[in-house]
Parts: sequence; C-alpha cells; structure tokens
Amino acid sequence: MRLSFSVPFIIRSAAFLTLAAVVHGKEPVDFGRDILPILSNNCLHCHGPDENERKGRLRLDTHEGALGAGKSGENAVVPGDLASSELILRVTSTYEDEVMPPHDVKEKLSATQIDLLKRWVEEGAKWGNHWAYQRPAPPSVPTVRGPAVEDVQPIDAFVRARLDRERIAPAPEADRRTLARRLSFDLVGLPPTADSVRAFVEDRRPDAYERYVDGLLASPHFGERWARHWLDLARYADSAGYLNDTPRPYAYLFRDWVINAINQDMPFDQFTIEQLAGDLLPNATLEQKIATGFHRNSLKNDEAGADKEEDRTKIAVDRTAVTGAVWLGLSVGCAECHTHKYDQITHQEFFQLYAFFNNTTDKELPAPQSAELADYVAKMSSWEKKHHALEEPLAAYLPSLLPDRLSEWEKATSFPTARWTVLKPKGVTFFTEDDETELTPAADHSIASRPGDPLKSRFVVEAQVTMRGVTAFRIEALADPGKFVGQSRRGDFALSEFSVMMQVAQGPQEKLPLASARADFASKTGSALEAIDGNLNTGWSVGPQVNESHTIVFDLKTPQDFPEGTRLFFEVVHYATGLFSRFRLSATTHLKPEATTLSDSILAILDLPSERRTQDQQLQLARHFAATADVEGKKLTQAISEHDGKKPAYPKTKAAVLTAEPRSTRIHVRGDFRNLGDSVEPNTLAVLHPFKPRTEKPDRLDLARWIVDPANPLTARVTVNYIWKHLFGRGIVATVEDYGTRGEPPSHPELLDYLATTFVRDGWSRKKLIREIVLSATYRQSSVPRPELMDRDPFNTLLARQNRVRLEAEVVRDAFLSSSDLLNRQVGGPSIYPPLPGFVTAVGRDKDWPATETDERYKRGLYIHLRRNIPYPMLLTFDAPDSSAACFQRERSNTPLQALTLLNDPVFYECSQKLGETLFAKGKDRESQIREGFESCMSREPSAAELKALISLYDDQLALAQGDNRAAMVATARVIMNLDEFITRE
Amino acid sequence: MDTATGIGGLALTQLLGGEGLMAATAGGLIQPGRLHHAAKAKRCIYIYLEGGPSQMDLYDPKPVLNQLDGQALPDSLTKNMRFAFLSKESARVMGSPRTFKKHGQCGMELSDLIPHIGSIADDICLIRSMHTDQFNHVPGQLLMNTGSAIAGRPSIGSWLGYGLGTAAKNLPDFVTLVAVGRGVPGGSASWSSGFLPSKYSGVLFRSEGAPVLNVESPSGVTDAMQHRSIEAVGELNGLRNQFIGDPEIESRISAYELAYRMQTAAPELMDLSGESKATLDMYGLDRNEPKIEGGNRGGVGLFGTFARNCLMARRLIERGVRVVKLFHASWDHHSRIDVELPHNCALVDQPIAALIKDLKQRGLLEDTLVVCGSEFGRTALGENRPGFKTVTGRDHHPNAFSLWLAGGGVKGGQIIGETDDIAWNVTKDPVHVHDLHATLLHLFGFDHTKLTYRFQGRDFRLTDVAGNVVQKIFT
Repeated sequence: MRLSFSVPFIIRSAAFLTLAAVVHGKEPVDFGRDILPILSNNCLHCHGPDENERKGRLRLDTHEGALGAGKSGENAVVPGDLASSELILRVTSTYEDEVMPPHDVKEKLSATQIDLLKRWVEEGAKWGNHWAYQRPAPPSVPTVRGPAVEDVQPIDAFVRARLDRERIAPAPEADRRTLARRLSFDLVGLPPTADSVRAFVEDRRPDAYERYVDGLLASPHFGERWARHWLDLARYADSAGYLNDTPRPYAYLFRDWVINAINQDMPFDQFTIEQLAGDLLPNATLEQKIATGFHRNSLKNDEAGADKEEDRTKIAVDRTAVTGAVWLGLSVGCAECHTHKYDQITHQEFFQLYAFFNNTTDKELPAPQSAELADYVAKMSSWEKKHHALEEPLAAYLPSLLPDRLSEWEKATSFPTARWTVLKPKGVTFFTEDDETELTPAADHSIASRPGDPLKSRFVVEAQVTMRGVTAFRIEALADPGKFVGQSRRGDFALSEFSVMMQVAQGPQEKLPLASARADFASKTGSALEAIDGNLNTGWSVGPQVNESHTIVFDLKTPQDFPEGTRLFFEVVHYATGLFSRFRLSATTHLKPEATTLSDSILAILDLPSERRTQDQQLQLARHFAATADVEGKKLTQAISEHDGKKPAYPKTKAAVLTAEPRSTRIHVRGDFRNLGDSVEPNTLAVLHPFKPRTEKPDRLDLARWIVDPANPLTARVTVNYIWKHLFGRGIVATVEDYGTRGEPPSHPELLDYLATTFVRDGWSRKKLIREIVLSATYRQSSVPRPELMDRDPFNTLLARQNRVRLEAEVVRDAFLSSSDLLNRQVGGPSIYPPLPGFVTAVGRDKDWPATETDERYKRGLYIHLRRNIPYPMLLTFDAPDSSAACFQRERSNTPLQALTLLNDPVFYECSQKLGETLFAKGKDRESQIREGFESCMSREPSAAELKALISLYDDQLALAQGDNRAAMVATARVIMNLDEFITRE
Repeated sequence: MDTATGIGGLALTQLLGGEGLMAATAGGLIQPGRLHHAAKAKRCIYIYLEGGPSQMDLYDPKPVLNQLDGQALPDSLTKNMRFAFLSKESARVMGSPRTFKKHGQCGMELSDLIPHIGSIADDICLIRSMHTDQFNHVPGQLLMNTGSAIAGRPSIGSWLGYGLGTAAKNLPDFVTLVAVGRGVPGGSASWSSGFLPSKYSGVLFRSEGAPVLNVESPSGVTDAMQHRSIEAVGELNGLRNQFIGDPEIESRISAYELAYRMQTAAPELMDLSGESKATLDMYGLDRNEPKIEGGNRGGVGLFGTFARNCLMARRLIERGVRVVKLFHASWDHHSRIDVELPHNCALVDQPIAALIKDLKQRGLLEDTLVVCGSEFGRTALGENRPGFKTVTGRDHHPNAFSLWLAGGGVKGGQIIGETDDIAWNVTKDPVHVHDLHATLLHLFGFDHTKLTYRFQGRDFRLTDVAGNVVQKIFT
C-alpha cells in the first residue's frame, strides 16, 4: 500500500473527529465505534483472541471475558460500577506495577480515551459487535437544510447532514471545464479533447452533464481505466518474480478479461465468482476459466533447487490472504502463523480458508485469440499452397526412377536386416520430483514430453507384449520437421538410464539384463553405453546433430520369450541436459540388430518382392531413394523438408487458470509448512455470515458465493469504498484494506451503508454506482483547498470540497501521448515494451527487453510489460505498484525524479516535440499557437498572466535557439506539459 | 530549496509524514533528540556480493576440512538440511586449497585470496557466525536486504530513509550501483521501498556517463534553455497556485528546482579529474584484468567498473547521500570454485580495502557504516549435482557464513562467533540476519522494535518479530 499520508496520523485525526463528536455532543457511547478501537489498539495484543499471547488469563475481546475475572480475581468490568471495575482502576492507576497498558509500553491511553471507558462502564458497559461485522441495512436518508431539499440526492444528504452538524457549508460546484476534465480522467483515464470540452460547455440542455457522463461510461476506455484499478489488487504482472522472473507472455489474457468484463458492466458478484471459481461453474466457458487468472498472478519461485512444495504452499497462502484483503477487507494473512491478535480470525480459520486454495492446481489451457487463429489459417493456407507447388515436380520426377534406377539402387545397397515391432504403450506414467502425470501416447505409439517439463524426471511405459525370442529393444528419438530432437537449450537430450522390467501374469517383476547398447550417432561426451552404465550423471546424447531423429538399440543378455499376459515396464530416465522431444519403443528378434534411422515402413516395402508392391509402395520407396541417394531427387526433397520446417505453428497462446484438485489440509504450525498440525476442512470465518456449501465437500465456488452473499457485511462495503476512493482520492473508510478493529472507522457510516446496499440492490452494477456518485453535488464540488478548514479537517474527511489529486503513473503517460496525438488507442492485446536504456534492463537475470518498435509502443500505460524484477522506471517513479503484493492504495508522491522523467525521458520529450511541431506547423502567430497548445492540454484558456509568461518564455527560447521558431515552440509545449496542472486531475 | 526556511513552501504531504517518521517541521533536518538513542552511524555503504561467497575459503579457516576431504558427513549433520542441488546421500567433504595468514594487530586470520582486506583487519569486525533461514538466492537476498523472504517489503536503506527523514540536497538519499555480472536475481526488490512510499526507494545509478536515468537534458536542449524552462515551470505553477492555494503545487515547484540542481550536480559527481592518481591507483581503476580460463559467469570485464563503483560510493556519501548499496553478482560457485573465487576476489579485494582506507583518511569512516556480505555461505560438501561429472564447487549453505562490518561505531579488529570444524554450524555467538538488522538500526539510533510502519492492518518492522542487538559489535 502506498499512502500519501502516514497512516498513524490519519487514524489519529479521524479518531479525533469521532471522539470530538461524542465528547462534546454527549451522545451515548457506542461500543463498536468508541470502545472497541480502544480495546483493540491498546489491550487485545495481550488480552485478545490469541491464547498463546494472553496475559493474566484475561480476555477483553468477548463480553464474558470482560465481565469475568482474570488471574487477579477481580472482575475487569462491573457494569455501572466504576469503583469495582478493575479495568478502570488499572487504566487510571499511577503505580508502575499496576497501570495498564504496562508502564513500559509506548502507547498510553489519552485522557479522552479513559473518559470514554469510564462513561461506557457507567452507561452499563453494553457490548456489541465490531461495526464491520454487522450486515449493513439501508439507512434512512437524512433531511438537510437548504433552499431546495427535494433536489438533494441521497449521497449529498448524508454528506451535507454531517457538514451541517459541523456548521460547514459545502464548496460551490466546479466550472464545466474542470468537470469535463475531472470526469474524463476519472472515467476513462484520458484528458478530454478540446472539442469535447467546448461541446460540453456549450451544451445548454438540462441533462448535458448526464449526457457527458453517459458518453464516458459507454467508452471502451472506461474498461481500461477501471481495469487498472482492479489489476492493482490482483498484483497483475507479466513475469513470475524471483530469480528467473520467468516471463508470463499470456498474462494479458486475464488483463483483457478484466477490461472486457468492466466494459460490459458484468455484475460485481458474477465478476467475483468467475475470478475465484470460474472453472467450477457448470459448463464453464474458456472466458470464465481465464477469469481465474486473478490468482495466477501470485509470484512463483522456479529457481533451480527451490523447494517446490514450499513454494506451492506459499502461493496458496498468498491467494488466501489476498482473497481476504481484496473482498473482505480483512488482514486474514495475519492469522497464518498464529490466531489474529486483534480480529476474530483464528489460526485454524486461516487454514480453513487456505484449504480452498490448497485444493487447487495451476493449469495452462490453449487459448488462441481470434486474430491469432485467423493469422494461423491464412499462414497455413499459403504454406500449403507452396507445399503443393514443391510436391508437384517431385511427383512428376519420381515415376522416372521406376523401375530401373530404383531396382539398381536396391541391388547395390545393403539394408539393415533387423525388423522391428513397434510396441503399443498401454500406459505411460511421467514422474517428476513432485508430480506424477498420466500421459497419452500418440496414434503412432510415440510419447512426447511437454515444453517446460523438468529435468530429473522419468517415463515408465507399460506395454503388453507377446513375442518369442526377443533379442533387443530400440528407442527412436524423433525430431519433427523444424524441431529439435531434445528439450535442452541446445536441442539435445541425455538418456541417463534405460532399463526394462518384465512381469508374467501376477508373478514378480524381474529386471531384464541388458548386454550392450549402440546408437546411429552419439555426441562426443555421451556414448550409447552411458545409458546403461548405472550412473545417472552420464547418458547418451546426440549434440550437435539435434535436428535429426536418432536411434539407440539395447541387446538383451539372452533372448527372451514373452508369453501371453507378459507386461513389460520400460523406464526412461532423464537426469541432466534434456528430455526426448518424442520417442517410441520397439522390439526385435534379430540377433545384433543395427541401429539405423531407416524407417520401418520403408523396410517393410523392401521386404516385398518388387512385383508384389503396389504402385504407391514403389513410389514411396522411390521417394526414399530420391531423398537419400539421388542427386536430382535430393534437391527436390530437400526443398520440401526445408519447407516442412516452416510449417506455421498453431498459436501458442495459453491461459493460466485454476483447476480443482483435492488435497488434505493440515494447519501449518507457526506458519511452517513442514510442521503440520491438525487436519482442517474448507470453511469460512465464524464471525461472519453462515456458510451454505452445495455439498459436504465445499469448494472455491461455494467460497465465492459466500463472499457475494448479500448477507456478507463486508464485500459490498469494501467494493463501494474502493470505487469511492478512486473518485475522491480517499475512501469513506480510509484504511481501504483493513475493516478489522484496528482499521479506521468510516467517516460517513450511513453513506457507506447506503452505497453498499444500493449497490447490491441495483444488481452489483459498477457503472450505475459510479454514475450515481459522479452525478452527486458532493462529487461536483470545487477542489480548491479551503484554508479555513485546514486545521479542522486537514484531510478533507468531511468532504467539504473535492480533492485535487495527481494522476496515476499510467495516466500521466497517457495524458502526454494523448495531448500530443501520439496515443495508440487500441484496446487490449499483448503487453508492449517501450524502449529502455540497457543499464536499466540489465540488472536482473533476464536481461532481454525486446523493445517495441512499431507504433504499438504508444499504447496506453496499462499495456506496458510489467516485469517484476525490472519494473518500468517511469511507472515506479510515479508510484505504480511493483506487483509484488496486492496494492490497495497508491501513494501520490511528488519528487525530483518525476520532474527529470517528464522533462528529459525520451518518450515525454517526444510528446513535447510532437505537440510543439504540430502547433508550429499550423503557421499561426505565436500567441495563437500558445493559446491552442495550452487549451488542448489544460481544457481551459490561459489567463492573461499565464499567456504573458508563456510568450516571454517563447521569445527567450527563440533567442537561445538562434531564431528557430520550431525549437522555441517545442520548448514552450514542453513547459506546458510539465506544469503541475497537466498531470493533475484538475 | 532552502531547507531551513522552506517550511511554508512545503507540501502538506511532506509536513505530515511524507518527510519520514523522525523528521518533522524543520524541513527534513534530522532531529537528533527524536532518535531512540544517540546514533553512531550517519551513513551506510553496503557491499553486497551476490551468490554466497565461500566462508571457509575466505574468512573462516578450517584445517580439518582437508583431513576430511572425500569423506561423508554423519547423518546427524545432513538429516534435516535442505540443499539447492547436491545429493546428500553421496556427497563428500571437499577440502580447501587456500592458505590463511594472520593480519593486523588483532591477528585476524584471513585467506590468501583477500590480502587487501587483510590490510584493514584492524578496522573490521568479522562475524563468522552469521546464519539465515533461506537456501535459495532470491528468498535469501530478500531476507538479507529487506528482513523478509517474501517480496514487497522495504529494503534496509528505505527503512533508514523512513526513520531519518529526507534532507533536501542535490542527490537522492539512497543510491544503488550495480556491477551487473550475471544479474541480480531479485532485481530491484533488493533496493525497493516495498510498502513504504516510493521516495524511500533506492535510485539506480551508473558509475559512468549520466549517473541516473533522465538526468541529461534531451539533445538539442542547452543548459540555458533547460534553465529557462525550469524557471518558466516555476513561474507558471506559481501563477496557478495564486488561484488554487495547494501546497502540492509548491512542492512541485521545489521538485523541479531540485531536479535541475541534480542535473547540474551530476557532471560534477562523475568528474574524477579532482581525484589524485594515488587515489585512483589505490582503488585500482586502471588495473589489468587477468584472463580467466574458460570464462566466468559474472566477473569478466568488471575490474574497472567495480573499482569505480567503490570510488563513486565515497563520492556519493561525501555529497550527502545517506545509503549506497554496491552490488556485484558473481559469487555463486557451484563449480570451478578454485578458478572463479580467485578471479572474483582479485576483482573486489583491492577496491573494497581502498574504500575503507579512503574513508578513514578523510575522517568519514567514523560515522559511515560499511557492511560487506551476501545472502548465505557455502557447503563444506563438494557439490555433486546430478549431471556434474566432477565435483569442483560448493552448494548453498544457510547454517553458517561470514560477513564483516567496519566504521560507523563498529569496533574493529575483532571476530564475533565461531563455527564447528567444517563451518557447518555455528558453535558460538550466533548472529541471525534479524540480529544483524537490529544492530544496524541500533547504530543509526533506532530501537528496531519501535521503527514500525502500518500496512494492511499490521505494524511491520525490518526485523519482523525477531532480532537482538549484538552488543559485541560496537562495544
């Protein structure tokens, strides 16, 4: 979280406001509002829910506890009786060994707090629940004083009622130009064009404002703007973090899902369900599965040598904590190691929530995008065209080899004598360090590894074989056209060990001794024999011949009979270097068979006397001859095989999704995943509304539905508060991520509940809620600071004006690109890499930054590739999150590095140049150019003084630039774009 | 901006919290009375040798290693250990070819690979009993640099900035210089401000050319033009503020002025013409770089860069920068340790010793804390990673490693802690990473349990929920 103010200060200031109301207004003490925060901040650390931390056997987080006695035997609280209440005696004591909080604790109770505790006891020590755990009810809208009460919208009534109480008048409405700019930045994150501002200013229709708002709500850029807010919570990034910071090139699918969902105004309950459990919905669509990418944004440690189970559990913990914070506004993560110190979340409950995410496995789904598919189809059709064009001359040539030249060749060539029986795998199990996967062999009985399959893995292939006198086995390591034969970086593999077990009927498994091995080719460092030397660190490899298929043959010590019912288990072990890309197993009965790559189908044709071959078989054989032993034929076939290597690949785009996978969950004692405690079942928090799962085995879908259950006191409040925060710069609850007892109470509780209940009633519509807020007079107020309120309300908690806020990092960039007309407004698509200097990208391990050279580099800021280890400097300088954790509140800093960026960074300078040159090219006088430039950037005309200053600047720059008018106008545009107002909402 | 009189012009955010915990209305000047106790250190240079240098080949002599060379370790030592790569069933102890010699008045025993560091033995406090919880690089580096193995926490330099407040000057408070080598695994997470405001983040500098991103005006914009533009920005922002009255605008004007001052200060910072030949030679800026057989993953072409970074660290702190972090990523010697370790030691030994000597002769060492260390150490066992045909290196080892400090109130010429005969476990005075952090904060005048920041409902510390100040370090 990046707060613009130090948090303790906010809390103190708001507490002051509420306390002031109680103390001076002599309203009755409200337990949830007035007492619980005192207990929580000062007492519960030692007298709270956590049994291990509890001192003096006293707990003050429950009513019974507070009314009961601790170790001392005195009752802490005796309703109505100050003198008998030990709590009051202790907090007012002047003795070092008696006073509470203990004398060595820094935070003391204030006189006001002690007074509140006393009055609470006097008034009967009524207990209650923390406000945020109680379901909001639609509050009655207060009647406020004013000239036209009937026109006052509910939002304004709540705000005005509070202002009236404080005897403060609201600020006047901002002018239309300011509103045009404010709305445009808030709703679509772009500055309004000069034309749209003028049209709005001149629109005299009574509903001009509504029309302007509705136009922005309907814009496709609305989704971009509000998606970015959500992506802060989703800790969205385009890489995995940690050492390798592995790129996630398709993470954008989730980002685009969010943009689309928001543009379509998907109801927030559905929006929630799809992201937490889209995969579990009946007949889930690909889009609904892509939505679960929300939790695929967790960091992942794939550093070699990392403990995979540790990282898996760490990810599940992250998902649990983020879900709790984003949707419930609770610091659930605090209960990972122990029961929450202040809020009613036990250590066990954390792991009940964790169990939902523990019962989950990450998966990648093919998700070709329609544009990619269209591109693939087009490329494929042109590839096929060329393919046919290359086949034709060969087809015409081959008959000329028949029959004479073919039979000459056959006679002159010695062919391998051994014939092979391809073994049909009955089952293939793939073992890695932490995983065991069933694989399905292809129709040709070959078995492929997957890209990214780890080293230190083995395949166990089971086959039912009935043969007599088997002398040897063969593995064909197959290279597809244009592909490597192995998975190593250089395209190689290493077959560390190969062995065969045999089992007849239900008998014991016995290992078949292998006598020898040979291959058609072996690298200098990896002979065939190394595959059977019993040493995992050595193996058969084939570098540098990695573009071709290869064969290895294993002789059995003695020929073996495999009677009916024999099962063979072939173990193919890869330990270092790389896996086979694809392989196939065969057996033979020939003695000392050759290791050859000549295919079995050619051998089968060769075995037929030529007169018994079909014409087709003859042509196949001729083709093999042409490809291997005929000069003209080689030319023709080589062209074809080269072209085969260029076969367009099916789009690789894969969506990162969640899938269900049951696991048993046990508590991690003190948060240590190796120290397992009691078993727990998936369940929710007892302090909140009841959980009604569909079955006895609750899953993420049940959790998601529980979260958006209208009975949930938190989710709607938390969500409307985020939206409010983005429109005012500050939440009604200032601690937007903490609604627990240590969070700040809402500045306007009834307003919060009004918005939350209306939101649910209106079908969780984001657009309706935003519309209602921006139509309010509260939103439309001027943001000019009011010096007379600075002391009373330094953070504008009472909303006696709007707030003047600096634009977010991405929007600063968008404003520059938009005002200079460089912006590429295309919505969605893969992330872009705007150019960066090498010394910036070189600090991490992945130094590759493939700069986007097309005009896509001018797409909006939210499309910039977010690499966790090298955050894009401009974004970070302007307080964008680094995606290492969910960001609930961005800071709005104001630093020299920002100034350097906007002045000197090549992109920003390019924007100034473009604007300056555009203005210059219009050929008007300098004053008109400056006026136009200023208006297009600020949505208003310059004042006389501003104009004078700019003209004087222009003239000075003109002199400095030796009379170059273009350069002077660029310099002037650069100053306009570097003004505070340009990067501020208003 | 004149810090003493700039109060009225400061933005609200700066007055209220934006200036850090300790600094208050005096425009960012540190109020010594507001520290938890008197500070011994005012500046910090943290030399981070990424990857895990081998303690038994550099700092912690273990003659028994050579006696045990080729032998297995008892189960009791390896049973509960996790290793990144080595297979514990078949691993064997690997001896060390290094020779150790006593240095200085204190007689500190150090390896033949670091003779220059030997020459400053009386200034350094060597901790042989460091230990950590993490055995992979990124979590280990995060723990060492931010106090937590989980990304997103503020780095030490950011905590110091938050605690001490910013003092307006021509350069950022916290600067990072990287001799890239094979790349810093965690990237900027090691100098990030995490959940603290981004102004406490380390700013990446280079030691050659323009020191920081965008500090040079675009080509074609002369200094006079830039100056006139900054002036106009100030003037126009001021005009606007007459109608608005927002302290943020004042703050923006100051930021532009400071940016311009950074632009003018940058060439001076980078200009080494005022440094004597003796100084340049002491750091070894123009040393010949020895060829390394078979290449090296991180140490090639950096002899000049690293030396320059060390010199730049001194120049930065002289100009008011509070924390300088020097990274060099080339110390992960899983194989070929007897080739790579000497090469990398030759790279860093002389410049690091020169930095200490230079600080000392300029009277800066007294209140400048220098730390030199890494995320963990290496195993006494040779690394027999599957696929390695020969054993020529050591794996990651979190249980025991060495790190040293100098200056800033640290008592030099002493060794803290001991390890067993093979540098496997700490046998005396263990110092956890959290203890080191607690001590660092102590030297800067902070009680590590009281320097907190509330984020997501919890008060966070650099030291999480642990850490004890190691008194021996400074008494």
